[in-house]
Amino acid sequence: MFGLIGHLTNLEHAQAVARDLGYPEYGSQGLDFWCSAPPFVVEDIKVTSATGQVIEGRYVESCFLPEMLATRRIKAATRKILNAMAHAQKMGINITALGGFSSIIFENFKLEQIRRIRNLELDFHRFTTGNTHTAYIICQQVEQAAPKYGIDLSKATVAVCGATGDIGSAVCRWLSHNTGVKDLLLIARNRERLDNLQSEIGMGKIMGLEEALPMADVVVWVASMPKGIEVDPSSLKKPCLMVDGGYPKNIGSQFSNPNVHVLKGGIVEHSLDIDWRIMHIVAMDVPARQLFACFAESMLLEFEKWHTNFSWGRNQITLEKMEQIGMASVKHGFRPLLTT
Amino acid sequence: MPQLEASPALDFQSEAYKDAYSRINAIVIEGELEANDNYKKLAEHLSDHKDELIKLARMENRHMKGFQACGRNLSVTPDMEFAKEFFAKLHDNFKEAWDEGKVVTCLLIQSLIIETFAISAYNIYIPVADDFARKITEGVVKDEYMHLNFGEEWLKANFDTAKAELEAANRQNLPLVWQMLNQVAEDAAVLGMEKDALVEDFMITYGEALGNIGFTSREVMRLSAQGLAMA
Repeated sequence: MFGLIGHLTNLEHAQAVARDLGYPEYGSQGLDFWCSAPPFVVEDIKVTSATGQVIEGRYVESCFLPEMLATRRIKAATRKILNAMAHAQKMGINITALGGFSSIIFENFKLEQIRRIRNLELDFHRFTTGNTHTAYIICQQVEQAAPKYGIDLSKATVAVCGATGDIGSAVCRWLSHNTGVKDLLLIARNRERLDNLQSEIGMGKIMGLEEALPMADVVVWVASMPKGIEVDPSSLKKPCLMVDGGYPKNIGSQFSNPNVHVLKGGIVEHSLDIDWRIMHIVAMDVPARQLFACFAESMLLEFEKWHTNFSWGRNQITLEKMEQIGMASVKHGFRPLLTT
Repeated sequence: MPQLEASPALDFQSEAYKDAYSRINAIVIEGELEANDNYKKLAEHLSDHKDELIKLARMENRHMKGFQACGRNLSVTPDMEFAKEFFAKLHDNFKEAWDEGKVVTCLLIQSLIIETFAISAYNIYIPVADDFARKITEGVVKDEYMHLNFGEEWLKANFDTAKAELEAANRQNLPLVWQMLNQVAEDAAVLGMEKDALVEDFMITYGEALGNIGFTSREVMRLSAQGLAMA
């Protein structure tokens, strides 16, 4: 059995979902209540592979909300993730993806130091961040969508916002090695990590966001931000492809310019319908087919019986692992989302 | 990404700490004492499980003595009057149910609510306890899971006939837990225990117990949050 640990994008969203799902006790409550709320299983899921293989899984809502970080309720945030993991493990789930902020909180607050949760010893081999598959899918989105919008990658400058994160660094690695992009603009806050990344991939310019945006033909957004930022469309090149892999989205603006193309990053489409509610809840355009690539990774690991923490830690994603998960992804019928 | 700030070190000998400890320590001692009485009573009614329940009652008595030692170790006199008052409503509800022969309600109050309350408080207390109290509390938590398990097993075996009474007993008693937590939130904070962590731990352990007994996930969510919104 595979598992997915997820969360909602903000308090208002969480309240609306709780009311929709028929939990009025949760629907009218403020942030304090969510800081005390336990993890729970929202639904049982069946997924059929393109090969015909069928697997079963569960979606666990952690009750984490990005506002917990914004209001410095850090302990509550970390408890949500650890408790959701303990909940998944207690149910005997083989491999569970840590969706959205879950893996970032785990990594950032060094939760690997906390193994004991009540009367349970967490087994980290049962969890994956799903970042290898997410990075692979984002790279596929860049490679396949850019030509559609008249962008030739061999002549293109690609900016990566959040370049030193686990996904960002893997994207930089892949783009520099496999695609022949003309230039990479590396955007992140930590200078030391930026320097290390630059020397590792042997290319790229370190830059601030404001400076980089007007120079980029493609922008990959993979920063961890509790809220999206406003981007002025007049500052962008035309055409410009933006692949926004944030959850919640990194870009807070809507663009009406026909030459600015925004793709939801790190999203896959499955070739067969999945009967579930959760992708309706997170407002996917085609909820029966579309899902987060990190969630799909736990499905792939279950399909292939690779019951191990395939994606774990920071900056451990190799090109070989991206290719490995990419092949499994194609085999079982997942495709990168290419429609804006 | 914000950083996790280190919690300020606790001064176990400060007047503020000892003052708060006098009430929290008393609650724990009183809780174990009530549990001892309750299990002895239940042993009279559930004669098939008499030996097991007597054993549990004795264990609670040992726990009580352990926590009395924790207070002595910090030279704190537990405020037993406060603690008696703190448990009065739950105590009365147990007594009333007992007088009416409602074993299911008695088990919900003792084996689920009081045990879960204790387990969650001990779990949150252990990381912030003084060395002496930490060792004692760790030992106690292991035992407490066993008691929760007795109630769960019995209620699971009798789920069909017990369900309606469990729901009514939950409606009557769970709101008391939230009131009790509110009442000691400030003292608990002085000891380094956060209210939202206590509530969360309680809801998780209580929810797991309800799930094991036979309630569906949806019922568990409704039951374990009952009255929380009003607290």
